[in-house]
Amino acid sequence: MTDLHRYPPHETWHDVVSLDAKAWPRREEHHHTLVPTTCFNCEAACGLVCHVNHATGRIDRIEGNPLHPASRGRNCAKGPATLNQIDDHERILYPLRRAGERGSGQWERVSWDEALDDIGSRIGAAIAEGRHDEVMYHVGRPGEDGFAERVLQCWGVDGHNSHTNVCSSNARVGYQSWMGHDRPSSDFANAEVIFLISSHLEAGHYFNPHAQRIIEAQGNGATVICVDPRLSNTGSKADYWLPAWPGTEPFLLLAIARLLLLNGTWERDFVRRWTNWEVYLRERHPHRPIEFDSVGPALLDDYAAYTPEEAERVCGVPAAQIVEIARIIGAHPTKFASHNWRAAGAGNMGGWQTARCLFFLNVLTGSVGTVGGTTGNGWNKYKAPHPPGASPFEQWNEMSWPQEYPLAHHEMSILLPHFLAEGRGRLDVYFSRVYNPVWTNPDGFSWLEALKDPDKVGCHVALTPTWSETAVFADYVLPMGVGAERHDVASFETHAGRWIGFRQPVLRRYAEIRGDDVHGESRTHEFNPGEVWEENEFWIELSWRIDPDGDKGIRRWFESPSRPGTPMSVDEYYGAMFAAVPGLADDAEAADQTPLEFMRDRGAYALDGDMYLPYERDIDPAVLVDCNLDDAGVYRRSGTPGTWSGAPEDLAGLELAGLGDGSPAVQVDGTPKEGFPTPSRKLELYSQTLADWGWPEYATPTWIQSHVHWENLDLAGDERILLPTFRIPTLIHTRSANSKWLSEISHRHPLWIHPSDAEALGIEVNGLVRITTRIGHFVIGAWRTEGIRPGVVAASHHMGRWRLDAENGGSWAGGDVDITNDGTKWRLSRRGRPESHASADDDTERIWWSDTGVHQNLTFCVQPDPVSGMQCWHQRVRVAPAQPGDSYGDVVVDTAEARKAYQEWLAKTRPAPGPGGLRRPLWYSRPLKPTPGAYAL
Amino acid sequence: MTRLGFLLDSESCIGCHACTVACKAEHDVPLGVNRTWVKYIETGTFPDVNRHFSVMRCNHCDDAPCISICPTNALFRAPNGVVDFDDDNCIGCKGCMNACPYDAIYINPATNTANKCNFCNHRIEQSLEPSCVVVCPTHAIKVVDLDDPADEVTKFIARGETAVRAPEQQTQPKVHYRGAHEAPLDPLRTAIADDGMIWADATASHPTAEPGDGGVEARTTYTTAHHMTWKAKVSSYLVTKAVAAGAMLMAALLVLLGHGGEQAAVGVAPPVVAGVFLALTGVLLVGDLKRPERFYYLITRGNRRSWLVKGAWVLGAFAAVCAAWFLSGVVDSVGALQVLAAPTALLAAATAGYTAFLFAQCEGRDLWQTRLLLPTLLAQAAVAGASVYTVADLVMGIPESEAVQWVLLAGVLATGVLVAAEVVSEGSAHVEAAVAAMTRGRYARQFWAGGVGLGLAVPAVLVVISLAADTGPWPTAAAGISAVVGMWFYEDSFVRAGQSVPLS
Repeated sequence: MTDLHRYPPHETWHDVVSLDAKAWPRREEHHHTLVPTTCFNCEAACGLVCHVNHATGRIDRIEGNPLHPASRGRNCAKGPATLNQIDDHERILYPLRRAGERGSGQWERVSWDEALDDIGSRIGAAIAEGRHDEVMYHVGRPGEDGFAERVLQCWGVDGHNSHTNVCSSNARVGYQSWMGHDRPSSDFANAEVIFLISSHLEAGHYFNPHAQRIIEAQGNGATVICVDPRLSNTGSKADYWLPAWPGTEPFLLLAIARLLLLNGTWERDFVRRWTNWEVYLRERHPHRPIEFDSVGPALLDDYAAYTPEEAERVCGVPAAQIVEIARIIGAHPTKFASHNWRAAGAGNMGGWQTARCLFFLNVLTGSVGTVGGTTGNGWNKYKAPHPPGASPFEQWNEMSWPQEYPLAHHEMSILLPHFLAEGRGRLDVYFSRVYNPVWTNPDGFSWLEALKDPDKVGCHVALTPTWSETAVFADYVLPMGVGAERHDVASFETHAGRWIGFRQPVLRRYAEIRGDDVHGESRTHEFNPGEVWEENEFWIELSWRIDPDGDKGIRRWFESPSRPGTPMSVDEYYGAMFAAVPGLADDAEAADQTPLEFMRDRGAYALDGDMYLPYERDIDPAVLVDCNLDDAGVYRRSGTPGTWSGAPEDLAGLELAGLGDGSPAVQVDGTPKEGFPTPSRKLELYSQTLADWGWPEYATPTWIQSHVHWENLDLAGDERILLPTFRIPTLIHTRSANSKWLSEISHRHPLWIHPSDAEALGIEVNGLVRITTRIGHFVIGAWRTEGIRPGVVAASHHMGRWRLDAENGGSWAGGDVDITNDGTKWRLSRRGRPESHASADDDTERIWWSDTGVHQNLTFCVQPDPVSGMQCWHQRVRVAPAQPGDSYGDVVVDTAEARKAYQEWLAKTRPAPGPGGLRRPLWYSRPLKPTPGAYAL
Repeated sequence: MTRLGFLLDSESCIGCHACTVACKAEHDVPLGVNRTWVKYIETGTFPDVNRHFSVMRCNHCDDAPCISICPTNALFRAPNGVVDFDDDNCIGCKGCMNACPYDAIYINPATNTANKCNFCNHRIEQSLEPSCVVVCPTHAIKVVDLDDPADEVTKFIARGETAVRAPEQQTQPKVHYRGAHEAPLDPLRTAIADDGMIWADATASHPTAEPGDGGVEARTTYTTAHHMTWKAKVSSYLVTKAVAAGAMLMAALLVLLGHGGEQAAVGVAPPVVAGVFLALTGVLLVGDLKRPERFYYLITRGNRRSWLVKGAWVLGAFAAVCAAWFLSGVVDSVGALQVLAAPTALLAAATAGYTAFLFAQCEGRDLWQTRLLLPTLLAQAAVAGASVYTVADLVMGIPESEAVQWVLLAGVLATGVLVAAEVVSEGSAHVEAAVAAMTRGRYARQFWAGGVGLGLAVPAVLVVISLAADTGPWPTAAAGISAVVGMWFYEDSFVRAGQSVPLS
């Protein structure tokens, strides 16, 4: 069929005639306006187009945005399911204030004015009294880079906290240790070999854009290799599924690296030009001549133990298969695209070496920034400039950036309840924002203890569209918009290309198109359901309440440039941002639109050109005249960390770059090149930073034995490795339970267990299992499958959602529970299951499932990686049949044990100060970089 | 001409369920039912294990049994070859759900009408691809015009590299699978294990073979629920019309044997009994409709190819001759009865037997396709008619009471032979599975104790005793009642077992 289109032509979007699906074959015409926005489920930020019905003013349907360069008009299940989240009959529509004890479920409706005044005056007082560190903004899904960071910077508060340490810190440290950029951008579409330590055909960043391109490449003949101890959907589509023992992935990768070296199938010239091999030889092989010919033999020496046979023993992957895969990889130089984000990285102590060892293969095959290779995210992600804000502050929040973890990639968010319990500080105003630490983080009962204690947390403000296990313990629950009800700008390194996507409140844009008076004073909540706000307008308004007279110097950053004395509008904010995007203004003008109108009409914009081989770009010698060329060939600029003397008194004058040490170029074969944002401006085969900051043994790609390494387990007895974090294609953390269509497809998460393990452990078919962790246990049902390595058991993340009170949503996926405690001993038990019932949504009468899963994360202690700070999610557990009295869904935890475990892990660290008496390397990225002086300990 | 079909590319499908949700959104499909879904199966043993995905949906058959059986033209062939439907015509008889060999049709709980994938024909009309095609991240769903030899997908299909589901049903499906494992396309080769599915609850409504069944080689780890549609009301209707038809068959036989003058036992009682049971039949039939208020669409919007419509005409004609018989009986006109005897017998036989043709249109239920169904239904009518007379014998004089007993015995024996033949004869895999469910599986108790015991063995024994020793009318009446009650159990096991074979 050549005459079928995927979407109505863009020029018709303001009035598209469609036929009513239910009335068909009767022709009943509707008129729709198609308004683009951005999905707010996973981080991929795929494009959506909302079909607004002219007769009802409601969104009838949500499809993909064909103008979006990453998602290309296609979506996963979670895209169209956004409609459920908008129409959710249980969503929070009005601001609520706690009316009883925290967690009592008693709420009273308040006005936004009351809430803003109260919260604003609290923050204002904290700032005025120098208690900056008592204000914290804790974000789950950011949705946008830079907006909230700018707000905090303008407040002068080092209060940014994130979810990154339960997510990706390990992968980030691994990638950053090579190339400065903390994230891979894989050119899957053009790859010949795709190596995934991830499940990017079903989950992860960036599922839909990546899946499109991985399958496209596979169709063109690419070989797909997937390492995962359990058969993910990705593993099942891969040409090679390698179920290595959890935590041995770096070993496997180093064995492949060794074979590439041994076979001579490595890109010598690339490694010579672009790695800091001289430093490597000097530090690791001082007796060898410092010449490139030494590198191969030196590496072979270092990795001599990583033979295929030893890899087979350690990893459980057949030696012949490893040899075969190394041969395939070696046969496709420069076209090796790899990816690790969570998976083995997030699961294991030392998991950050997974990304480091994986990228080692990119380096050896010369597949860095190439067509079909993998590059740094910073090159394919375009950060549109926010309006100017305040200068860096001088605060250093020890609650987020403690001395024990100087190299932690992000804030030590998982330790917050323990820090509060230890009295390291208190929080006066704590914002949880699309973040559900009671449920998502390990050790949720410690969170619950902290959040229930007003001495530890003075005022907890939950910014959320929907109820969560954390929001029920808040003091204020402030309803925020879902994907079609808010403004954000996103850009992600989904493929070889740069783009920005615009999330916008769809009904506001519809009103504008319809000709309603939408102007500078208009606010998104006027168009959203109930009194649902968008966060950007909330932050602007709150900033005014913090500094009503402008004397704190905060208000001015949120003032309208065109109407002084009034708050800035989002139109002004994004109008300025889009005007600065290269090429956008010209294209908008050609369309006879302002840049903002252009984006409101299209929802996404692709920047011109590609970013292949960015590090090879020549640097104009004219811009280097004020730089010094150092011995390593790096052009150093004075006043940057690259030229810092190391003396604390010299810190004050330094200008910190967002990433890197401010050195602009590196000389390669006599030519100044852009290079990488690392201190050496090269790929760091040897990381001087890791060595200098206490971890010299990990300075090169290394296998670190995991905390769940199989050889240390009593496998003959009842010890096993639990993989508790794997994701499935239809859900996203705790943000998708308000979709009935997604919940219907996926609502249970039985424990995957190999039949041989089930037999050995006496677990019956469909029997109940008690999983005992370091700090407690939970009871779950067994699911025998061949799709998992014997010795490993697994249960998906997502399920096990609960509610204390049926008033607080959760019809589709929330099991009713009781929580009781006796001192530090906590128990959660199931009281009810989802069932058919009458509500404003007829579909609640058709709920046919009853399982909602078990809340595993409560039973996990914090296990922060001593280097990256990442929660090491895999669990060393005892697996046994349930005991008499155990019921499905039971969770029992002792938070005193959790405290002990925290202390054990804390003891593994090598605290600051590092060189120069610093808290953290100056060149490391940080969501908010304070003044250089704040780095001094 | 245009003849639309789908290519479902299992090589590209990543099992993400986007199509499922996009479809729910496009058509506002309620929870519990699906127009399209992604089936997961697992094969092999660690580490050589795999998971396969196949998208399930209406096959838009060129020879669509659902269109044939639909009594009110609610299902129809659109000019572009798509099997489309019109909610405004549907009476909710669920015939289509039994005619479809693919589990593709469901009753929409919001409208109580039969819905299914209609290829998003309202979008095709606007030159837009179906919503599942548009959303699919990996282009695993493609629209193909099978009448366009230049269509790349048509060429691909022509090379014979694709497979279809249930080709043996010869419905000429237009949904082609590329790279699909054979097992997921054949529901008898996969089973949901006792510990359920990967991330959704398994319920009794999730179609599955049993894990231990022969031929099962893979594990279904995700599929959607499909509800049994014809249950007690249909089983009961088979019995009530057998009674009505049987009573009049016996009456016609007695007229032919010269007993037309027996006003009460031949002229009046049989049509009264037939009338009552026909009325019951009508109540059951209309009551089984999901939209009973639309029952008259059978006449006003009737599809003459459908045996539901033909059956309605047969029942109506039979009711008319019963009425004529009753009037003739009341006025005691032996001549009229003699004139009516032959057409009455024919229409009674048609009433009893037309269901064989209706069930034959149920292409999704191989058990019901048996050629033995027509003689079985006729034998059952004889049993039911004779039973009516054995009971009548308690309250009024009946002619030829011994002959009645012989008819009962013969009917029971004939039914027994026919049922036995059905059970032991070899059939398709689906027939074997259904017979197994009926005789050894979940319906075995009602089949053996009810259908065979009460329906055949008890009456046979009682009649033989009665014939051998003059026992009076009570044992014979008991035999008749037992036979009819047992007949219900048999019909119910037959009806349910026929629907127990998984189709998806």
